[in-house]
Amino acid sequence: MINVSHLTKKYNRFTANNNMSFMVNDGEIAVLAGPNGAGKSTAIKCIAGLLRFEGEIEICGHNNKSLEAKRLLGYVPEIPAPFELLTVWEHMEFIARAYKLENWQERAEELIRRMELHDKKDKMGKELSKGMQQKISICCALLIEPKVVLFDEPFVGLDPHAIKELKAMLSELRDKGVTILISTHMLDSVEEFWDKLLIMMHGRIEAERERSAVEKSGENLEELFFKITEKEKSEG
Amino acid sequence: MNAILYMLGKNVKNGIIDTFRHPLKLIVYGLIAASLVYAVIRGFTMDPDVENKLDPRILYGAFLAILYFISIPIMLKGLSTGSSFFTMGDVNNIFTAPISPKKILVYGIGRQLATSLFLVVCFSAYGSMAVRMFELDIGNALLLVGGIALMLLIVQMITLLIFCICSAKPSLIPYIKYFIYLLAVYALGTTIAYMFISGINLESLYTAISMPYLEYAPFIGWVHGLIFGILYGNMLNTVIYGSLLLFCCILSIVIFRLTKLDFFEDVLSNAESYYEFRENIRTGNVGEYSIGSSKSMLRRKGISKGSGASAIFFKHLREGARRSRFMFFNINTIVLLGVTAVIGFGMKSFFNGPDKATVIFIANTVICAYVQFFFSAAGDWVKELNKPYIFLIPDDPVKKLIMAGATSIIKPFIDGAVSFVLLWIITGGHFVDALVCMLVYGSFGCIYISSNILAQRIVGISGNRGVFITFYMGIMVLLMIPGIAAGIMLLSSISAELTGIAAAFLGLPVLIWNIFISFMIFLMCRNLLNNIE
Repeated sequence: MINVSHLTKKYNRFTANNNMSFMVNDGEIAVLAGPNGAGKSTAIKCIAGLLRFEGEIEICGHNNKSLEAKRLLGYVPEIPAPFELLTVWEHMEFIARAYKLENWQERAEELIRRMELHDKKDKMGKELSKGMQQKISICCALLIEPKVVLFDEPFVGLDPHAIKELKAMLSELRDKGVTILISTHMLDSVEEFWDKLLIMMHGRIEAERERSAVEKSGENLEELFFKITEKEKSEG
Repeated sequence: MNAILYMLGKNVKNGIIDTFRHPLKLIVYGLIAASLVYAVIRGFTMDPDVENKLDPRILYGAFLAILYFISIPIMLKGLSTGSSFFTMGDVNNIFTAPISPKKILVYGIGRQLATSLFLVVCFSAYGSMAVRMFELDIGNALLLVGGIALMLLIVQMITLLIFCICSAKPSLIPYIKYFIYLLAVYALGTTIAYMFISGINLESLYTAISMPYLEYAPFIGWVHGLIFGILYGNMLNTVIYGSLLLFCCILSIVIFRLTKLDFFEDVLSNAESYYEFRENIRTGNVGEYSIGSSKSMLRRKGISKGSGASAIFFKHLREGARRSRFMFFNINTIVLLGVTAVIGFGMKSFFNGPDKATVIFIANTVICAYVQFFFSAAGDWVKELNKPYIFLIPDDPVKKLIMAGATSIIKPFIDGAVSFVLLWIITGGHFVDALVCMLVYGSFGCIYISSNILAQRIVGISGNRGVFITFYMGIMVLLMIPGIAAGIMLLSSISAELTGIAAAFLGLPVLIWNIFISFMIFLMCRNLLNNIE
């Protein structure tokens, strides 16, 4: 579970996130959507514990900066940052060692196979294309069997097969009770499995919708997104 | 061309506005400018140091060395078909625009020249120093600084020529490269040969570096000949070298006009790797990539050891083994050995005194520690901060900090051991001196990394790089002072019979202080890895 309470993040005089509060429950996939510069990536980084902020963030009841929270959290950054001199398999080994995982090899094999990296196992990070580097980030985040996973634009740079596989993985994770927060512009990519929509504008949560309510109204994600963001623009 | 001028104008204007929007950056730039102006004014206004006036042949040789230092790298860049003249922004926006390739090339080289001219500003401080040390008047000092500016202009013209030739006929690249190397070898070779013939001593060195033969070297020697011709009123040299340079410039322009340029494809791949290189420098990811060299041997697979934070250390070991077959023994070690050999043999030949070995040990420690500063910028721990993993790993922050910095701490001790064993063999000095100096050299690695950590803590990991470097250097100096002061105090208080190991007495407090303060900083900055900012 992710519990964000009064999150405010300022860069000097610029407020990137302004008093944001929301909750994502276990086994729920929440989509963080919003125009460019709305503060989505900043919010994700704050939740991942990478940035200083005001307010409170809890990961499964633990303060997000605590070691307990870190053990439960997987994070896929917007820009993949693999280690240039480690092979794909060594990335898995490094994460397993750093997180003190046991019996991880089989799971790593499966992740690598599903992300179609099995023939690149001995390739170093710097020898991989951007899309493949993104696949490593996903494998690293999921290897630890997290209870909460944060995805920042996970579909960017992935090939159609990887997108399909990632979607399947997300659904499987949800079925296992994992909490998932995805920041994305590609709303059609999450259309089939989202549970909660959080629309951000100007650093605030402008709207929060449950899937059931949206489905009742007969709207789809994209229509809802434009309705809310354009209404805000015209009012602003 | 209007578009390029517009873009340049906007770049300059926005750059200035941006500087004013970042007060700290402005203060740092202001301080640098003020210190430069102060150095120039002080140099020009102080009375010349007549008693300690240096031999004018040193000026002759030093000026030639400066010309070589700024020219050879620029000329070699001409061979890489424009890799550093253009940015990715240029490739994406200017190359695709309907602008003549020649104009684009002039823009690229012109911008390079503007950057190089910054060097002239820096050298103006040395010009003022030359006034004092060589009893020159202001006119002469300005002539020397002007000579450097002229060299930069000439070398850009030559680079243009080389670029045109290489672009039209790539098969000539190796020959031109050999020619450029030959220029450097000619100067070094004649100097060394003369010293071997007439004896290795200071007098023969001064004579060697002031031989007129050195001015025969094309372009670089010619600029030197022209400037010193004017300086010493040698009309013949002035006319000959001036004419040769003028002829070269005209030839460059003519060939440039006649060449049909098509360099975009060559530039593209180079510009991409250069962009990647610059991005890594900008983000502090120094040493992760170097232009054109991306081959690393896989060799052994797997990290094999480590759990929690220590996995970072063993990962660094594996990465190190891929960068260099001998892991800790790499190009930095070779450079250090070279520096030590030059200091060892050089000072042994030129310096005479009862404590010769001790003085050499101290000099080598100081110079090698200075060289190590530049190596430390590419340490493993600096690279680690650019990735999210170190922040996400669920382990104690102090452990993570120590493990991330461990290879950067170990490496200087290994380099120091190799370097000071060599110096011990060369000088035949006391073993205790060698041992302590070796450890002191290693401890400076701790100081560099702890200064870096402290500066990251103050400025922030994602803070402005310029401000960070200023803080880093300031902190580093402050951290060094107490140890050095204690060493000097201890050395001055020891009895005469112990002076045989004076370097050890000077170094011991430095060593203890460096290790102590570094450890304290590691402890104090344990929360650094709490967030990426």
